[in-house]
Formats: sequence, structure tokens, C-alpha cells
Amino acid sequence: MCAMMIAVTGGKGGTGKSTIAVNLAAALAEDEDLLLADLDVEGPSDHVLLGTPLTDEEPINIMLPIVRYQACTRCGICAQVCDTGAIITSGDGLPVIIPRLCSGCRSCYLACPVNAIEEGMRTIGYTYRTKVPLDGDGRSLRLVTGMLREGEEHTPPAVIATRRRAFSERADIYVVDTAAGTSNTVSTAMDGAKLAITVTEPTPLGASDLDMILEVADRMGVEPWIVINRHGIGSDGLIEDVARRRGSRIVSRIPYSREMVDMYIRGRPIVLARPDSEPSVALRELAALIRGSA
Amino acid sequence: MPLEIAVASGKGGVGKSTVSSTIAIALSRAGRDVIAVDADADAPNLHLVLGVDRWDREIPHSGARVARVVDDLCTGCGACAQVCPYDAVRVLGDGRYWISPVLCEGCATCGLACPVKGAIVREEVTEGRIRVARTRYGFQLVSAALDPGRPNTGKLVTEEKDLARRMAGEDSVIVLDSAAGIGCQVVSSLAGSHIAVLVTEPTPAGFANMRRAHTLTKHFMMPAAVVINKFDLNPGVTSEIESYARENGMEVLGRIPYDDSVPRSMVMMMPHIEAFPDSEAAKALMGIGNRVVEIARDWKGWWFEHRPRKIEPYKPVIISPRRVKR
Repeated sequence: MCAMMIAVTGGKGGTGKSTIAVNLAAALAEDEDLLLADLDVEGPSDHVLLGTPLTDEEPINIMLPIVRYQACTRCGICAQVCDTGAIITSGDGLPVIIPRLCSGCRSCYLACPVNAIEEGMRTIGYTYRTKVPLDGDGRSLRLVTGMLREGEEHTPPAVIATRRRAFSERADIYVVDTAAGTSNTVSTAMDGAKLAITVTEPTPLGASDLDMILEVADRMGVEPWIVINRHGIGSDGLIEDVARRRGSRIVSRIPYSREMVDMYIRGRPIVLARPDSEPSVALRELAALIRGSA
Repeated sequence: MPLEIAVASGKGGVGKSTVSSTIAIALSRAGRDVIAVDADADAPNLHLVLGVDRWDREIPHSGARVARVVDDLCTGCGACAQVCPYDAVRVLGDGRYWISPVLCEGCATCGLACPVKGAIVREEVTEGRIRVARTRYGFQLVSAALDPGRPNTGKLVTEEKDLARRMAGEDSVIVLDSAAGIGCQVVSSLAGSHIAVLVTEPTPAGFANMRRAHTLTKHFMMPAAVVINKFDLNPGVTSEIESYARENGMEVLGRIPYDDSVPRSMVMMMPHIEAFPDSEAAKALMGIGNRVVEIARDWKGWWFEHRPRKIEPYKPVIISPRRVKR
């Protein structure tokens, strides 16, 4: 089988993206060689929901320009090409780098006509790799997590570094958990996915953000599968309207359940801890649909 | 100077918009001039909570750039793909190169690496808009909408804040509903605000991400107060959050019980305190709103009392060129 990548996303925060990602991963890992990548680097929580500590830390380093002032001719080109305002020129024309604003794009390094910029690095976060044991006979799933350092603003490079670490390992199925929102933090995580599991909740807020993430999926050529989480708390009609307008399918409705909340708090995937509960049945059906689409 | 209150959380979906709308309404009912700002540009929701269905003003936001390969000039050398920090450059079946507009951040790197002059151009794109509406609760809302897949820019948030500041009077209060996460948009939301309200829920993930947002407020030397939503979900984690708040000199503004009328008020597109004013959650929310009204009366005193005791600025981790492995 050719490796398949599935992104779990949804637009609105707190709709259950991570819960569904870890449960799908746990269900699919019983029969498949699976890797789960937590690309919500601003607020990763898959390890929390799996009740596992993060291990095997590696820094995420991006390029940081360091000016060799003895070589600098004060031409100001570096500041002109910098797209993030990370280079300002002081009164005497010498460039000053503001590390926090630098995205590490290397434009200044390439543009400097006298090679007065050297390549330093800045650690913007960390990646982790954890082997998570599942119930039963020694089965486990692999988790790769990205974590942005507090105070760092450039999220996509951290997402890319985490993706690279995840995809450097072979697996049959990669499940990728994205951040909330619809910005390029999310599209960078979704890139290359065969399916986008778009998790929403039956409220106008869920519907509005779902509409935006379906637009992103459409632009990226990724097939969206809509999942209504907390089915029963609001009105499914709102989601059905969006699905109809966008020509997308609602593939699963996962009922609201207090048990799911309890398992969320205890750090145990419900499909393993309470296999007979209503949400587990719905999640396993969804996992089977995904397996069938491979 | 208008008071600026930023509502943040780290984790998404914990109730930021519900708390922000309550604070704005409570301040407005208390006679304050309020401007609400929805700073979650890539998933804006505050207008839905406040029942805004038309905008009085819409201002396009441009300035972002996207790189494009000029097909006739591209020699297919692939230098652009090698340097792109965002993995946005793709080789097509016929050997030509293409830059994905939903991945490109608009830096100049590919164009600088390209050996053919003019084969990569950067074009300005509209990346969103800023909108203003008067809500039925008497105050104005400034909201932004980012086009899907665009960089999650703090610039848009900064522009919204600038507009709100121009609309504000000396004694106004700006209530800013920030995005989830701790990235660019959240940093821009917190920068320059006076008070942070951190909304959390008693789950390990909610608490962990609230602490990450709290670290950011410390970078800005901002006092932060805490709201615990659905506090009865897990008394253990609730008391951990309360201990954390105590140890860090953060006031707990209130605790909101789990209440299944909250999603119903969302379906009605009404703030919870208006839709179900007698519910337990609404009473707790109004308690929080009224506490903020009190704080806002003499916010400088409150600020001084609750500001972080230690200066903990952001420190970049820098590796010098000598130590970078080639």
C-alpha cells in the first residue's frame, strides 16, 4: 500500500480535533503501521490526550542573520528585502537585527552584495518523538510533536520542521493534527493530505469556521470529510447547509458524551478505554471508512 | 488613554468569545464607551456571538505578497525550490515550477536565488478585510477576516487595534478577543494591551496551554487574570489552576459552571447573558463582567497591584555562526 496522509482539522478551536486525531490514530494503529504528527505547534495536546510524556527532544533551528559589521557597507539592501520588519537601520545606516521578528527566510543573506551577513541560527521550538503503548499485546503508535517556544511568532517554519521529522520515518498511514484557524499554519500542515477530516460542532460558530476550512481544502485539492462532533448539543442543520453549499459530505456524527470528556481529562483514548461507548462506535466506523478509502 | 483588555487562552474553544462578549456588554451596561475587537482573523466569531448580520464599513487589507513563477522565463533549474523556507515551491509534471499561493509567505528568498532576472515576481494580494459594525448592545465591533490560507499575520491585528484606538475616546475600554494559540496574532493582540484575561477549562490540555499564554503576558509585563470555564468538569484540575493563579499573583475573576444552555445561546446567535440570563452560567458570567467593570474604574491601581513581580522578557535562543554545523 502506498503511504496515506490524513489531516485532522476544522477551523474552529476546541471542536475536538485532537480528540478525534488520537482516537482515529489509536483505532487505525491496531491494524496499520501508523504515525501521528501533532502539528498544532502553538498548543500541542495529542500527548496530553494520550497520557504520555514527550521524549527524544530535538531543537527546531531556523536561520538567523548575523551582520559582520566590519564588512558592512551600510547599503541598506538587507532591510529593504526583509519582509517581516526584522532588520532596521540605525541612524548611522548600520543594520540591526530583531531576532523575534525574523522568519529565517535568508533573503537578507542572499541579497547582501558584500556577503556581510553570516548564517547563525535561532531555536524557535522543539520536536519530540514518542512511542505510545496501546492496550493489548505490545502494540504502539508513534507520535511526533512540534512545540513552538513561547514568544516565538513564526509558526509555519516550526510546522515544517515537525512535518519533516514525522515524514522522515516510514509509515503506512500518517495522521496529522492541525492547529485551529484557516491560516497558512493550517494549510502548511495539511499539504499533501489525501483526506481532511474537518471536525466541527453544530453551532453557527462551528459552521462559519467549517465554511472557511472547506475553502482552504478546496484550494489545496484535498478531499474534505465533515465530522460533526458533540452531535446533539446544537443544530446539525447549520452544518448540513454548509455541506450542501460546498458539495461536501458529512461522514460521521459523534454524539456528545460525558464519557468522552472524562477520557479527555484522564488522557486515555475513548476507543481503547471504553470501546463499547457510543462515541467509540462512531469513531471506529470512521476509522473503517478511512481504511476503506486507502 | 483608553484601557485595553485582551482575552486570550492558548487553547481554542474554551470560551474566549463568550467571555469577551460578556465583558463588553457588562462595561457597556455600566455606561462605559466600549469597542470590541475580534482579533481572531482566521476564524472570526465574535460577530456571530453578538448577532451582527451587516457591516457598516469594510476596509480591504492588502500589503501581503505572494511569489509567482513567470512560465516563459523559468528555465526549470529548481534554485527556488531549494531555498524556499516554506516548502511552497513545486515542480510540475512538465518540469516547470509553481509556487503554492496558500503556502507562500511572501518573502523574497526564491526571487533572490533565481538566476534569471524577472522569472519570479512578487505580487501584492488582498489578504483580508477589516470590518466595523454597531452591535445591538450599543457598542461598536471591529472585526477582521483573513482570506483562507494566508499568513496568520499580526499586521492585520495591529491594524484593527490602531483603528479601534482611533475610534476610542480618552475613557473608552477596548475589549479584544484574541485567537487561539500563542503565535503571531496572539503576540500582536497582547502587545500594548494593559490587562490580559486568560480563559481556561480544567482539562490538562486547557491548563497547559493557558500557562503558555501566561508566559507571553509575562514577556509584556502585563498583569493577567483568570476565568475558569466549566470549572465543575474536573475539581482536581480546577484547584490546580487556582493554586497556579495564587502563586503567580493572578486574580481569578470567576468560575463558570458547565451549562448546556451555552451552546443553545450560540445557536440563537445571542450572548449567553442575554439569551439565558437566569442560567447558572449567565450568573457566573455576569459576576465576571461586573468584576471587570470594577477593575476598569481604577485600572491603574489594579494594574500596579497585579503586575508581574519579576521581569521575564522574551529571550531568543541564538546559535552563533561559528557553531552552526555546515
